Amino acid sequence: MSKVKKQATSPLRSRLSQHNQAFHQSLNQLWQHSLSTWITLAAIAIALSLPAGLYILLGNLKTLTDDKREVPTISVYINQNITAQQAQDRAELLSELNDIENVKLIKREDGLKHMKQVAGVQDIIDTVGGNPLPHVLVVTPRMSLFGDPGVDLDGLAQRLKSYPEVDSVQMDIEWVQRLRAIMQIAERVVLVVAILLALTVLLVVGNTIRLNIENRKEEIEVTQLVGATTGYIRRPFLYGGFWYGFFGGILSLVIVHVSLLFLIPPVDKLAVLYGSQYNITGLGVWVTVIILVFSSLLGLAGAWLAVAQHLRKQFAMIDV
Amino acid sequence: MIELQDVSKKYPTGQIALYNVNLKLNKGEMAFLTGISGAGKSTLLKLIALLDRPTAGKVLIDNFDISQLKQNQVANYRRSIGVIFQDHHLLSDRTIFDNVALPLMISGMRYNDIERRVHAALDKVNLLVKEKDYPMMLSAGEKQRVGIARAVVNKPSIILADEPTGNLDPVLAADIMQTFLQFNDLGATILIASHDMQLVERMGKRIIALQKVKSR
Repeated sequence: MSKVKKQATSPLRSRLSQHNQAFHQSLNQLWQHSLSTWITLAAIAIALSLPAGLYILLGNLKTLTDDKREVPTISVYINQNITAQQAQDRAELLSELNDIENVKLIKREDGLKHMKQVAGVQDIIDTVGGNPLPHVLVVTPRMSLFGDPGVDLDGLAQRLKSYPEVDSVQMDIEWVQRLRAIMQIAERVVLVVAILLALTVLLVVGNTIRLNIENRKEEIEVTQLVGATTGYIRRPFLYGGFWYGFFGGILSLVIVHVSLLFLIPPVDKLAVLYGSQYNITGLGVWVTVIILVFSSLLGLAGAWLAVAQHLRKQFAMIDV
Repeated sequence: MIELQDVSKKYPTGQIALYNVNLKLNKGEMAFLTGISGAGKSTLLKLIALLDRPTAGKVLIDNFDISQLKQNQVANYRRSIGVIFQDHHLLSDRTIFDNVALPLMISGMRYNDIERRVHAALDKVNLLVKEKDYPMMLSAGEKQRVGIARAVVNKPSIILADEPTGNLDPVLAADIMQTFLQFNDLGATILIASHDMQLVERMGKRIIALQKVKSR
């Protein structure tokens, strides 16, 4: 037993040396079976790039709706028989209310002028004859953020509608709210998809490591016979799982960014057609780091499960 | 010192491999374990190497009951002894150097020390020139000597060998036995299981005969 104690000196150096071995051994394994490695990495990368791509899509949609955050407005359509002066008086009265930030009057003449600039509308206006448009008050409620719970937008709209000069009221933010609601559902869908695909990565890595273990069964048995600890046996496989996750993560980022490059020209074209300049946003540094850490941890977890299952089975059969 | 106290081993199938075995092997002693096939020679070695546990009795090494060892201590214990298997248990995809180096790599030794020790071990079994070869390129006798080099590379105080000359011709078998004698001269306690009575008797060492347990 004295030998056992003698070998236990310098445990840190021993551990570092064992990690060094496992590190190189695991990379060698990947390199030696390059075809199967690439297939596994591709499967992991595709599984990871799908939620990452959906995340980017949602992020960009959010940016679009967030642009509307500062200008939620209520359009108040004035009755046709109300003069511009009367509309102006109402605008001034409204702008003194506590829950209204400002009120802008768009006179029917200005509205018509604006409409005439829109292609195809000129003919319709000529057919109708005269100016069919009412004066419009564009009311901006006093709120710091879109969806501020302190402001009752529906109540304000109801109050505006109750004035005798007012014909109808339309909240210009309804479409944003609807889009937000849809996006909340989409976020949940992305989360579910991400969880399912994370499980897929776990299974892919677990199964790959399980096959590696099967291929190296003889080696494991021999190393156990000459005194390998479970840690020593487990280590190269854990490194292997980590590499699968890490490199799979990198490959998924490549896939996502190449796809983005592919999407940028048509999106730019579409933005120009709408008279705006919109830039697609990518994943950003933090999300990139999170994806790499997450994918590496998934690989590690998959490998751990596979090795643990093997060792459990083996101990139940032969070990003491 | 190796000591077995009332050791029995019964397999789950009901087969009794060993029954009430008492044995004491002093430090630095070399002995042979003989008996017909199925007498329990390999089982007894497995119990000492902690590759299996007795169903009754105690196995003491230097007066310590090895059944008390926990799982990771078992690995340490295995590294402290050298075991030679009849079927070599060499890794076919690794060179002779790497096969012999395996216990040292498991110990986390530095490469320079590993290299020095492996060369010394291979030199003792006259296989230094074959360090870059693979097991399939060696003869049965050479493979057995690689197994011996791997077993002694950690400088164990106890060496257990299970039929180390089982597949060898008499000349090679005598050669292997000479190697064991050399290690014994260096102070190692050696227990060798063999059914070759002629060879065993020629060695002039203590012989422990096991008899097959009759079914009960």
